[in-house]
Amino acid sequence: MSDGEIAVGAADDFDDGDVEIVEVGRAEVGVIRADGEFYALRNQCPHDGGPTCEGKVEKRLVGEWGGPGERVEQRYGDDCIVSCPWHGWSFDLDTGEHIGDDSYVVPTYDVVVRDGVVYVQTD
Amino acid sequence: MIEPAEHLVVDCDWHYADTFEQVAPYMPEPWKTKFRNSGWDSTGVNQGLSAFFPTSTGNRSNYGKIDREFSEYPQGGDDKADVVEGMEFLDVDATLQISHLILAMGGVTADDRRVESFIKGYIDYMLAEVLDPDAGIYGLAPLPYHDIDASMDVLDRIEDEETFKGVVMVTAGASPPLGNRKYDPIYERCEALGLPVVYHTGGSGLDDYVRAGYEEMIETHTLGFLESNMSQIVSVACQGVPEKFPDLDIVFMESGVTYLPGLISRLDEEYLKRAEEAPLLEAPPGDYISDFYFGTQPLEESARPDLLEICFDMLGTEHLLYASDYPHWDYDSPSIITDLPMLDDEQRKDILGRNAAEVFDL
Repeated sequence: MSDGEIAVGAADDFDDGDVEIVEVGRAEVGVIRADGEFYALRNQCPHDGGPTCEGKVEKRLVGEWGGPGERVEQRYGDDCIVSCPWHGWSFDLDTGEHIGDDSYVVPTYDVVVRDGVVYVQTD
Repeated sequence: MIEPAEHLVVDCDWHYADTFEQVAPYMPEPWKTKFRNSGWDSTGVNQGLSAFFPTSTGNRSNYGKIDREFSEYPQGGDDKADVVEGMEFLDVDATLQISHLILAMGGVTADDRRVESFIKGYIDYMLAEVLDPDAGIYGLAPLPYHDIDASMDVLDRIEDEETFKGVVMVTAGASPPLGNRKYDPIYERCEALGLPVVYHTGGSGLDDYVRAGYEEMIETHTLGFLESNMSQIVSVACQGVPEKFPDLDIVFMESGVTYLPGLISRLDEEYLKRAEEAPLLEAPPGDYISDFYFGTQPLEESARPDLLEICFDMLGTEHLLYASDYPHWDYDSPSIITDLPMLDDEQRKDILGRNAAEVFDL
């Protein structure tokens, strides 16, 4: 293990939607696999302190308007989100930003996979 | 402190106290003849507004306490001279006239052309007999929004009439609510024409706005007006009307201002928990609502000053429009704005007239 990294576990042990909670200093961090990519976010919702990273991981539901009089068609987009199980506050896994109000941000951490092992970078 | 008489005062909500008998000769057939032969006459005038068996709780004149020197309200039958005299009384330089009778359109549930015919007749009547830019008397055209084709007819009619400065959508009784895609063609056309959409709460259906059985107008008028406006504000914002039609000016009339911080706060709180349900929004709905314009009447001048200050701060004094609601029973004089201690003189002038002059291109 290099300095400034915490080993999380074997990459092969993660399926999409899986989360592993690790301690980074005094903070809990959730390491999440979604759509084949790894993400790490502080496991503390800025709303009420809930375990955000232990919530549902899925694609963000987006709407597209076809023009006047047309229904707004909803579909699951490309961005992955995690939703705090306490009240549903949802955050973009890549940026940590709340999907409706980017003034709320969950801290994110870089994740690397080296030799089949997932590491969270803590620097 | 400023004197209203020395500054531009635009009254964004003057109710022309019309009668069906005045408008009927201008209605398209067959309703012109149907009305003449119906024997409704004054019954048609009174029903739903101040009849002994009202469709709304209470009596508009508070059982004889309210008297209007410059209007035939509540019976109706005003003419242009009444409006001119009333404007002198209130010291207002310009008014936007909204039909008194159309406020009850939500009570018409039949799928016939009554509302459409009244509106078409009203527009021709007002053009022929009342509206006069030289006297500062402008109009807002009601829309029979339940019928999109009829609404397009109305927009065709006023497209080249400079005295109509916007449209009115009565918030009471609109179903589906006014953010629904059904109304997109109206908004698209109004945006293209540069006509602000004025949502005006209405007096019909107040008794059972949520539940039947209220006894007095103090209850239904307090609650029903708020419910009508709030339900449409939420629909218009959440369904993304401001995102769909970014150049459309949206104005909400006649529920004061203190309900708005509460509504915005509650809606934004919901949005943080359910943002995907308003997928067209790029920001919390309150950010869109605070871009709307709001008529100030009936301003809650007896409220705690710090509450009013918060309201003005959240909504922005550049988004507030003085409205009298004259000759209705709870009208506001311009002094209600000039007497507010938490505003400076520039803000008072903005609210009294300058904001409206810009929004309505006066």
